Amino acid sequence: MANYLNTRRVNRRDFLKLGGGVAVGLTSASLLSGSALARTLLQPADIAPSRGPAQRAPLGVPTPDLYLAGTDGWVCLAPTVSIPPYHPDSFAPAPFTTYIFGFRNVTGMTADQVQAQKGRGQITAPIIGTDEGHDFRINLTNVGLLQRPDLFDSHTFHWHGFRNAIPFFDGEPIGSVSVPVDRDLTYYYHPRDPGTYLYHCHFEDSEHVHMGMTGCVYVRPAQNGGGYRYAYNGLLPTDPLSTSYDREFVIVLTDVWAEIHWGDAHIQLADWSDYVPDFFLMNRRLYPDTLAPNGGLTDSSGDLIAPSGHPELQYQPISSLIQCNAGDRVLLRMVNLSYLEQSMTLTGIPMRVVGKDATYLRGQDGVTDLTYTTDCVTFNAGESTDAIFVAPPHTGGGYDTYLLYNRNYDRLNSGGGAGLGGQMTEIRVWATGTLGPQTVPNT
Amino acid sequence: MQSLKLFKWTNWRLAAVLVSVAVALSLPAAPGLAVAPNPPPFGMLCTTNGSGTPYAAFTLTALSGTISLSDGNTMYMWGYSEGGHVFQHPSPTLCVTQGQTVTVVLHNTLNVPVSVMFPGQPDVLANGRPVQPEYTAGALTSLVPTAPPGGDVTYDFVAKEPGTYLYESGTDAATQVQMGLFGALVVRPTLGVNYAYNRTESRFNPATEFLMELSAIDPYQHQAVQAGRAFDIRQFRPRYWMLNGRSLPDTLYPNYAPLSPFQPYSALARIHPYDAATNQWPALTRHVSVTPVDVPFHPHGNNGLVIARDGRYLQDGAGNNLAYSKFSMDIGPGQTWDTLYTWADIDGFASGTHKVSDEVTIPSELNLTYGMLYSGSPYLGDLAAMPPGTFSMNACGEYYIISHSHALNQVTAWGQGLTMQGMGTFLRVDPPLPNSCPN
Repeated sequence: MANYLNTRRVNRRDFLKLGGGVAVGLTSASLLSGSALARTLLQPADIAPSRGPAQRAPLGVPTPDLYLAGTDGWVCLAPTVSIPPYHPDSFAPAPFTTYIFGFRNVTGMTADQVQAQKGRGQITAPIIGTDEGHDFRINLTNVGLLQRPDLFDSHTFHWHGFRNAIPFFDGEPIGSVSVPVDRDLTYYYHPRDPGTYLYHCHFEDSEHVHMGMTGCVYVRPAQNGGGYRYAYNGLLPTDPLSTSYDREFVIVLTDVWAEIHWGDAHIQLADWSDYVPDFFLMNRRLYPDTLAPNGGLTDSSGDLIAPSGHPELQYQPISSLIQCNAGDRVLLRMVNLSYLEQSMTLTGIPMRVVGKDATYLRGQDGVTDLTYTTDCVTFNAGESTDAIFVAPPHTGGGYDTYLLYNRNYDRLNSGGGAGLGGQMTEIRVWATGTLGPQTVPNT
Repeated sequence: MQSLKLFKWTNWRLAAVLVSVAVALSLPAAPGLAVAPNPPPFGMLCTTNGSGTPYAAFTLTALSGTISLSDGNTMYMWGYSEGGHVFQHPSPTLCVTQGQTVTVVLHNTLNVPVSVMFPGQPDVLANGRPVQPEYTAGALTSLVPTAPPGGDVTYDFVAKEPGTYLYESGTDAATQVQMGLFGALVVRPTLGVNYAYNRTESRFNPATEFLMELSAIDPYQHQAVQAGRAFDIRQFRPRYWMLNGRSLPDTLYPNYAPLSPFQPYSALARIHPYDAATNQWPALTRHVSVTPVDVPFHPHGNNGLVIARDGRYLQDGAGNNLAYSKFSMDIGPGQTWDTLYTWADIDGFASGTHKVSDEVTIPSELNLTYGMLYSGSPYLGDLAAMPPGTFSMNACGEYYIISHSHALNQVTAWGQGLTMQGMGTFLRVDPPLPNSCPN
């Protein structure tokens, strides 16, 4: 069966749209084969682009659409902030500060390349886009923990919110199975319900989720097509209440308790009932790093290439910078994988909440519109919110800046350091026609 | 962190024994608890009085007791017992019918004044007068009239609206509610016992009605109360998180499990898969929270359809159905949420009509880590080989699907690390009847 990821051809303009990292990315990319090019283009964003009618191999099981590896690694958070003895971690290789667990997209890699990603986990995990009505298979390999040869934790893939899952594919270890070190398992889904979901490892999830094995998976509705994309099936673009959009941005909210991250690197076990986070992250970065470009391209060994000008963000490849043209409809897919309730405020632009927990806000009659307009959405751990805003007018050069940030002001800092930090990003509105069409999220 | 300490082994093994035993026999009610004899092993249990009459009268005694925690610790608690029966935690679930006049006589055996509030019930009387806050030397000392140590107070109200409610102390509530002076009050609609509200859309399968009371315990607060010392409420930090007064894995024990004699209520939900002919009505889960923070409660396996909050069906002024579907319920302190839940074999895997092996390669059992509730097989009703030395509590190929707080720091216990304790439970999906499950 065709591996849909590898049918897409790549050109220079596509690389430019990944926002920076142009020169390095192009040089490396030109050395790669066609299939690897397609895979790296899709890092860290949309993994499974929209595709045609579902196909099935006549014999044998279909090959997975996506290969993920679970491992550990190091990332950079607020290097000038000191939380002795935990932060910065004395074991962290420069320029990093913090020990993490993470997933990596290893689709198309050789077995040696997959093993070479041990200790090179990324946070947040790759964004996964799937299609309503189309089978989706993800193979998870447990590569092991480079920093912890004593720790042989298994991993799982839990699609949080997938309806009517059987335990075998639910990824909850007690009721089913998990993937030991140096083994793999393929999970199968047939998505039926469009919307924004979460995914994470569920093995010892208090730890693995907090350490970074978290990401966003969404389901594109069957109605997509004819040049339009929607958050949910329903109203057509002629209706102002439709869920059509021009650009989409995934916002994954998490937090970091420095002591527990340090503890995992130093083989110390903190008491989870002492939990008190120090950092509040958006796509696993702290403002202003949230504005830095996307990374996600890989080199010939399969390792991640840092975003241009930001070597410290090598393993935090997902940008939260939201850029759009005046008049664009922008979909925010917001998920909360921290352990606290968060309130995200969008200044200056009203947003319409169209979905929560991958459920279109409509009455039980299937017709009554229950979407609503607000400037602040509050959602707790394990919830998702879909909101669409229309970018206000802007003329002339440059852009207007709006802000998306956590209204809990005590979380708008990076570990108590000076200035603004934490869960904040910018929305930059350009004049109509400035930016070309978006092809992958968060670009 | 350490894989081998994934569970509290002893408690999980005992849970296995108890689950199978309880299902095989109908356990008699533990002595002194005011419920019907031979209560079912799983599902919400009601303490009732005056069924079929216009009056329901309960006597609640405020008293102290001890509970056992999942890590082997015990905890000094307060609670209300009903009808002179022994201490239990949480306090008894009182079930009445819409329209009944409910009388609750509170008798206080503690050495501080206590009271009972009925949030959501209008026109509550205390000793015949409308409830008012109580003042002592000019300071407000209770939200409602109290029973002094050794004394009584009588509350009356008419249960006008069906739904799920909380009852709890209104006196020094930061202490007394946390000490255990709370319970659930269920008002059944006049439409019938198969309905949660007077709406046909609230119909559920009465054999699958479940209660989830969410709470948390700060052991230092309980220690201070037991020793008669002051406790600085600003230092409050929960170390244990509970469902129905128990932490995972104790939440899986049946009702009246001997292992937790003063925590009678199971939190295991047990259902069959949806079937249009034989099992068409959903399960009803009534959530009540006295946890001091919002708790994002997440069932795996399916969304819950939220039909009501705080004792009111979600509808607009024109009666349109505003029920909505959620995969995480963000339940606030003092809130009640009612959800309908089904699990359906939508892909055909459970029944085996659609083979898992047609979609993915199933690794050998030697190449996977197996969970203690796993049957060894992806198919419902099927038991298969487990890796040598693996202990499984699966009885008959049933599915176990977890529900838990997604504030995952609450899925733990004091100093216990990553041992799967705390605010979590499982949904057990039994194979369709007839099956090989013990009872």
